[in-house]
Amino acid sequence: MTMQDMMKDPLANIVLMHADDKLMLGHMQSDWTGLAPILEEDIAASSMSQDDLSHALVLYDHLAARFDLTADAIAFERDAADYRCCDLITIPDEFDWAIALTKRWFVATLTALGVDRLATIDDEDLSTRCKRLIPEQAIHVRHLSEWMIRLGSGTEESRSRMQAAINTLESDAGMMFEPPDHSIDPVDSFCCGREGIFQEWKTSCEDTLQRAGLSANLALPPESMIGGRRGTHATHFTDQLAELTEVRRAEPAPAW
Amino acid sequence: MSGAANPVSPPDITIDCDPDKLAEFEQRIADGVLIEPGDWMPEAYRALMLRMAEHHANSEIIGALPEGEWITRAPSMLRKLALIAKVQDEVGHGQMLYRVSQELGKSRDDMLRDLITGKTKYHNCFNYPCPTWGDIAMIQWLIDGAAIMNQKTLADGAYGPYVRTMNRINMEEAFHFKSGEDMVLTLMGGTKGQQTMGQDAFDRWWPVALMFFGPADKPNAEQLPAMKWRMKTERNTSLRQRYVNRFAPAAMDMGLAIHVCEKDADGIVTSKKPDEAIGLNEETGNWNFTEPDWDEFWRVIRGSGPCNAHRVALRRFSYEQGAWVRRAIGTGAVATPPAA
Repeated sequence: MTMQDMMKDPLANIVLMHADDKLMLGHMQSDWTGLAPILEEDIAASSMSQDDLSHALVLYDHLAARFDLTADAIAFERDAADYRCCDLITIPDEFDWAIALTKRWFVATLTALGVDRLATIDDEDLSTRCKRLIPEQAIHVRHLSEWMIRLGSGTEESRSRMQAAINTLESDAGMMFEPPDHSIDPVDSFCCGREGIFQEWKTSCEDTLQRAGLSANLALPPESMIGGRRGTHATHFTDQLAELTEVRRAEPAPAW
Repeated sequence: MSGAANPVSPPDITIDCDPDKLAEFEQRIADGVLIEPGDWMPEAYRALMLRMAEHHANSEIIGALPEGEWITRAPSMLRKLALIAKVQDEVGHGQMLYRVSQELGKSRDDMLRDLITGKTKYHNCFNYPCPTWGDIAMIQWLIDGAAIMNQKTLADGAYGPYVRTMNRINMEEAFHFKSGEDMVLTLMGGTKGQQTMGQDAFDRWWPVALMFFGPADKPNAEQLPAMKWRMKTERNTSLRQRYVNRFAPAAMDMGLAIHVCEKDADGIVTSKKPDEAIGLNEETGNWNFTEPDWDEFWRVIRGSGPCNAHRVALRRFSYEQGAWVRRAIGTGAVATPPAA
């Protein structure tokens, strides 16, 4: 079994979609460690980036056992085109908390729905692992939703910044629903149905936005639109991947 | 991560000194009773304790920066997770120490503003660069190791909230030290390139670790407020000697060579030669070593170190970038402080 076998497997692509989202989300958020607006939230956000990376590791470990690989090889040693994360995550936030928060909230809301579905799949190892992620993921969604509401309904300045962040990110958010593999039937095999999960995500987001006094134009792009999930990544993703793998590439070694 | 071995001039201890109350206060300290925030204390004690706790808190959140720079480049999932958790701990230590300081009468926002405008300081060791992953290993092993040694003596102090905070911090620092030791062992047991990375980083951090404890105390240190009132319980030179006794042989066991180095203005080693003084003195039981460059110490502490401006600028950037969030939730900061 090889990395190529894994990349040809439809279910593995769905698992990778969430795992790679988690990897890059944890990676991006971890860059804020020590720099968040409030010390207490710095500590909370750091715990969440550790959760995200741990969740990625839990899913990579499942794939590593199935395809005779290592989690680190899956995380660090694929070609850029083999990463299944959406490019929303790696859009640079320039240390704008509104952008960072909105991205995390969009993605966490989808991941919660995704792991719920993966937990029902007929694969005991995978479903057991996903069941472990569900309660932590729910905490993430609640925490991030509360922040969206708090800043949306805070001052005029914070509402305006949050709305600007949503306006910047909303079109890229739709690409989270790109099927992660050309062979995956978006109706039957997206582990849910692409349209169904999008509607559920949109309803959840709009509920929070309404309470926050914010709005978004959330639309499902046509299936023909190719993006990061099918390996056509933006430059900002490949820049982040280069940073993620910098030390490991500089000196190939049996252990780090 | 950082202890409070900073050279600060003590405030005037004759201010607000009711002789009877002072005698009672000093007797309590001599009896090993912990001083609590609601207890009577000389104003000078409050001011000095605040300065020490605030300096320590500043050091924790500045100390998060050099290691934080390497989180996104950590070379495995477990190293990445461990490094985030480690830097998170440092931020958490800052949060705890700012709370201790707040109780001594200064708001957190005032402390953060004083830090980014250069009115207050932080530990000197964070003004040095971390050009490779090897530096992260060495910070966690050598600097956290030094911090544990220093903070164990601070945990033997007299101010209750600070002592309890030190005890908690020291437990977490022990994990940092073990993580650092594991990283150094991995590098020194790895490829030639990894060993070189480890040695080069050790050359950069060994003298910084020696300076960590600060310059020699005054001859009458035990009679001065910091030691008399048990804010600090061991002389800097004694701590440094115990540190060398512990770490010099440990470094050599791991295959590291101890050098005396010349550095450029960016903190990068330009030349090195073996430290010929290194060795166990059988008579004293102590390890001999070459003293670090104390001129460099004073240069860096006065603001001319390789990274002073960068560290403070990044903290200021973070403070300014987050101001709108704090305004929205009604905590502190209503305006950006003036230029330093």
